[in-house]
Amino acid sequence: MRPRSTALPILLFVLFPLALVLAGAQQPTPAPTPAATPSQQPGQVTLVLPGNGQQRKIKIAFPAFRGQLGGDGTAAARELEETVRRDLDTSGYFEIQGPDVLSGLHLTGDVQKDLAAYKSTGNEVILLGEVKNEQDRLVFDGRVLDAASGQAALAKRYRGPYSVSRRMAHTFADEVVRTLIGRPGIALSAIAFTSDRSGAKEVWVMDYDGANPRKITGHHSTSMSPAWSPDGASIAYTSFFSGPPGLYLADLASGRKRPVVTSGSFNTSPSFSPDGKRIAFARSLEGNVEIFTADLEGGNLRRLTNSPAIDTNPAWSPKGGNIAFTSSRAGNPHIYLMDAEGANQRRISFDGTYNDGAAWSPEGDLIAYTSRRDGQFQIAITNLATLETQVLTSGPGENESPTFSPDGRKIAFTSRRNGRKQIWIMALDGSNQRPLTSEGNNDMADWSRGAPPQ
Amino acid sequence: MNRKWMAWIVVPALLTFMYGCPKKKPKTPPPDLNVETTTVPAPPATPPPATEVTPPATPPVADKKEDPLLSSDLQVVNDELRRRGFSPDVYFDYDESTLTDDTRQKLSRNADLLKSQPQFSVTIEGHADSRGTSEYNLALGERRANAARDYLSSLGVAATRMRTISYGKERPVCTEEAESCWSQNRRAHMIITGRANVG
Repeated sequence: MRPRSTALPILLFVLFPLALVLAGAQQPTPAPTPAATPSQQPGQVTLVLPGNGQQRKIKIAFPAFRGQLGGDGTAAARELEETVRRDLDTSGYFEIQGPDVLSGLHLTGDVQKDLAAYKSTGNEVILLGEVKNEQDRLVFDGRVLDAASGQAALAKRYRGPYSVSRRMAHTFADEVVRTLIGRPGIALSAIAFTSDRSGAKEVWVMDYDGANPRKITGHHSTSMSPAWSPDGASIAYTSFFSGPPGLYLADLASGRKRPVVTSGSFNTSPSFSPDGKRIAFARSLEGNVEIFTADLEGGNLRRLTNSPAIDTNPAWSPKGGNIAFTSSRAGNPHIYLMDAEGANQRRISFDGTYNDGAAWSPEGDLIAYTSRRDGQFQIAITNLATLETQVLTSGPGENESPTFSPDGRKIAFTSRRNGRKQIWIMALDGSNQRPLTSEGNNDMADWSRGAPPQ
Repeated sequence: MNRKWMAWIVVPALLTFMYGCPKKKPKTPPPDLNVETTTVPAPPATPPPATEVTPPATPPVADKKEDPLLSSDLQVVNDELRRRGFSPDVYFDYDESTLTDDTRQKLSRNADLLKSQPQFSVTIEGHADSRGTSEYNLALGERRANAARDYLSSLGVAATRMRTISYGKERPVCTEEAESCWSQNRRAHMIITGRANVG
């Protein structure tokens, strides 16, 4: 092994926090402060909700928010309203009747008098918003009413600078989902990905809806394979910046980057254990790549596979007991499972000649991966209990690198169908496919496991 | 199909080369020069590839000062080696890292050149086409680089002179999504990246 100078990486680690500080400056710093509103106490309203398996959507009336704000406030208020509406639509739980539909109802503006009108078009829930300006800060009151009783199921007040209107909206939308569905929403989650929009391929992070992209690395080399830590505070990734690809860890709050494992001919595709204490990754020594685990300092290295074939792309299961990975030991790359200590290695993909890049659903019951079908790359999911496999995408465009949303109801992936590689999302059944990115080439999405700390 | 067609060009061209050239070498033109019907037709478009492998491994160095291999600019060195028949790239089939016969021939020629110029160290980069995940292609690229290195080593190039690095699909030479382009990216790329400090 060649001695390697450590001066360059150390210098780079010292310099990079700057970039993060700049990126961070654009983010809203003060958190919107949710406060129980005094005006209307939310009663203990129980709504009839569709079960997890059911596809029936809750019909929700969403009239235009009330209140007028001058100047900057107008745009902020509009963004707030549009973001809440888009979040609820994206969640897939609701069928929204917006102002265009509701305008035909001749509403009086007094919600208690209008209940019958709302119900006449099938609405079960009414969402009301009101914005106002208090000392140059945006104040937003959001309420959700049961259309049958007129009682409030949720009432929240948020206050903050205009610049945080999107996050106010996401926070409220997740509250609505939690209240009406009983499950955490995903509007505050984030997606790490790679992009060459600034030149070299760097690691970036964006909000779950594609907004607010910020550059995490600035190595001006090739940086790739981002993986969120379970707490969302850091991202592990691979970079070529000091020669052979090494594994690094970026702390998002401080912007600091530090090496985890950089020896050997390459170290790539990190995946955190659910307790956040270890990383599984692919490591090549002397020309043969195997799956290893290490602690976050790169210590306690353990090799889990031992095959002359290519073993790569490990993905730690959400409950911690298993690691999925890719191996070419059967002649072509396929998805395998093993215990987290490396025992009990078994193949789980059997269709086609190229299956790679496994991603776990949050419940640990499904694995999504890239599957080559009829010469084209598609996203497939396999149910681990039955080994039943479904292909979610079709047609040309190299659909690859899937990652599940924290609620398990969506998959983000890469597609080149419109020319360049972009991050797309779709529902778990393959419906509602739409792009989240448009600038440069974007790839290797990894969805945070919850809402990363702000 | 293609190959048969090629044979019609290459075989006559080879014959021209093997038998035609030496005869033409004497400065006095051959007596039958005017007899047009006996001359072998020249290949229509491109010269036969066979002529590319003919320069001797190390052409006699007339003046040491002018030898580009002594240049401190490694780009000049690489260009010169290329001129002498060094193949900077050898290519692979999809999802494969095995060496084809053609690749072995090229590597054999490279090995001769490297052995005749022991002062140079070489970096062998492994590359892959854009299909499949970056991580898998990184492993595949490494296998390609290692396959080239191991073959060069088996032909007597000291392993200590060679270093490998895989770029997977991260550094394509061609970015269109078509086989014509993919095939150019599935390669081991060899470049002189250093010179030993021995005199």
